[in-house]
Amino acid sequence: MSNGDQRSMIREAMQAIAQRKPGKSKLVYDKTKRTIVAVSEGISTPQALNITADDADMFGVVTLSSGWLREKWPDLTKAGSFPVDFSSWDDGDALTQLELCIQGSGTHAPATLVFGHQQVQPAMGMVISIVPTDKSTRRPDVFVSPDNIAYRAELTESGEATVGRREVVFADIEPQLDLRRAGILETTILKDRTVLCIGLGTGGAHVAVELAKSGVGHFLLVDRDRLSVGNVVRHPGGISQVGRTKVNVTRDLILEKNPRAKVDVHAADVSFDNRDMIAGLVQQADLVVCGTDNRQSKLLINELCVSANKPAVYGGAFRRAYGGQILRVRPKHSPCQQCFVSALPEEASDVEVSSQDDADAIAYSDRPVAVEPGLSLDVLPIATQLAKLALLELLADKSSTLNVLKRDFDAPWYLWLNRPEPGTQYADMPPLSESRDEMTINRWYGIYFDRDEQCPVCGDFLSGFAAAYGLDPSKLPALPEKD
Amino acid sequence: MTQRQRLALEHQILHNEGFSQFGVYHYPAYDTYNASGTATTNSGRGYQLFCTIPAGYPTERPPLYITDPNPLLTFNGAAISRLGVSHAMHTLEPHSAGWVQICHWRADRWHAGIVLQRVFLKAMLWLEAYEQHCSTGRDLAEFVRTMQEAA
Repeated sequence: MSNGDQRSMIREAMQAIAQRKPGKSKLVYDKTKRTIVAVSEGISTPQALNITADDADMFGVVTLSSGWLREKWPDLTKAGSFPVDFSSWDDGDALTQLELCIQGSGTHAPATLVFGHQQVQPAMGMVISIVPTDKSTRRPDVFVSPDNIAYRAELTESGEATVGRREVVFADIEPQLDLRRAGILETTILKDRTVLCIGLGTGGAHVAVELAKSGVGHFLLVDRDRLSVGNVVRHPGGISQVGRTKVNVTRDLILEKNPRAKVDVHAADVSFDNRDMIAGLVQQADLVVCGTDNRQSKLLINELCVSANKPAVYGGAFRRAYGGQILRVRPKHSPCQQCFVSALPEEASDVEVSSQDDADAIAYSDRPVAVEPGLSLDVLPIATQLAKLALLELLADKSSTLNVLKRDFDAPWYLWLNRPEPGTQYADMPPLSESRDEMTINRWYGIYFDRDEQCPVCGDFLSGFAAAYGLDPSKLPALPEKD
Repeated sequence: MTQRQRLALEHQILHNEGFSQFGVYHYPAYDTYNASGTATTNSGRGYQLFCTIPAGYPTERPPLYITDPNPLLTFNGAAISRLGVSHAMHTLEPHSAGWVQICHWRADRWHAGIVLQRVFLKAMLWLEAYEQHCSTGRDLAEFVRTMQEAA
């Protein structure tokens, strides 16, 4: 056995116990193999080495992109070598190829990628030699070239082989991510779906990221705001993102989860001044997710979605996030946001005041309304449910494990309560542990209400309104004109 | 339903329901619409009301201005338009011409189910309250219930 092979076996044995693999809890010296192997605790081995799992977890990881390497393979085999850059994390414990990084660590580690065992003199940094191997192609440290040959990587730092200290693994992003979703979600369909996410506050950004994790392939993001320090306790974006527009923060969060996603950002207000722009985005979308908090924007989006016959889901928290609600609108088939406002005006008006802009929108400027945001943990149940309903809409009429939920989530309106808020109709709810039939906290309620057949947005308002006043809408005189 | 169809119906309802002092008008040169007319209070004073119909109407709230008298004065003789957005006087941002904008519905309460007849009705209530303000000096808000709308 060569020294290299022996080092490789020792490393594998140590990794086996470091990863707490079943039946691999201690290291012993195997006289036959003349090397160290991992065995289970029960095996009687007086020569067992006193190395614990924590002691064994000492290998740094270098991660290369399989997709990138396949793309560059003709260049590598022809040129023999070329430079590759890594983002260095945790004092060099993890080196991630820059092509894989949506946001880098800020510290770069240069390297040279070499085809075969060629001797190269790198300008600086590591040398990663790509050499043939007979190991299983399913292993993470094996790369399969476009001509279907298995390779592994050998790492040299400062002229010394570092096979014992760092492991080079190949990340094949898309297949590895799809593997985790397959069986539950119809990933092929979701890749082709376009979701317009309007309003990227705590809830809206969370929904967008969840949809990215699920494999949605195209996002259109709209929000005019920038991430502020105060947002950080709730928003998925962190303190290092403060000052950036929420559309860009959310775009990066999406790409961290789904690097192949196409994300178009629009740092714009949802207002009647931008009506044509928003209408154009609605036309492109398969589904609209509305996370805005004010009525005007919701009603504008509703009008545009009904007009374009696009399904939409609207989510929002009640004041101080004591609860929240979701409205799902299938134009002409279920109540729209305008039907909701007409049928349940108080429920439609109960909104969280999470920012000064929201406060200004509902107040006279000489009589301020307090900003009273709720806790992130009270907003996330609503956002998570919103994401699930969004997925159901995106997969409507397609085969999916989630199809069994269609009968559960059949109602247009969903209500969730985080606490029995004093001063509300929910103040006297029984404790969760005592209630069987009455409304309680921490349960979703699907609520049915009828679509307004004479809704000014989705119904025949003209006929209904005219009939109420005894007028024939087909015989109305033309409007008088003025210069 | 087009905006034009809706406005034609609203014009007819104004006339049929005793609000014939108001009407909805088309301006062909600009292809825009306005609703306007003269409101007369119980004291017999006349006020010119002018409601611009935005492109987003009825989903978008239409602003309603008092164009005459201009300036419209407070009990103390100051121009109301200089107060800007005021809860005490139930006003919103004035027009650039100095016209007072009545707060008939706040934007966060407006929806497409509200018709111009109700907007003008609220304007007439505002004018009655305004005249009480002029007589007593008390805030206009004391004479009108906060113009919250149940629907």
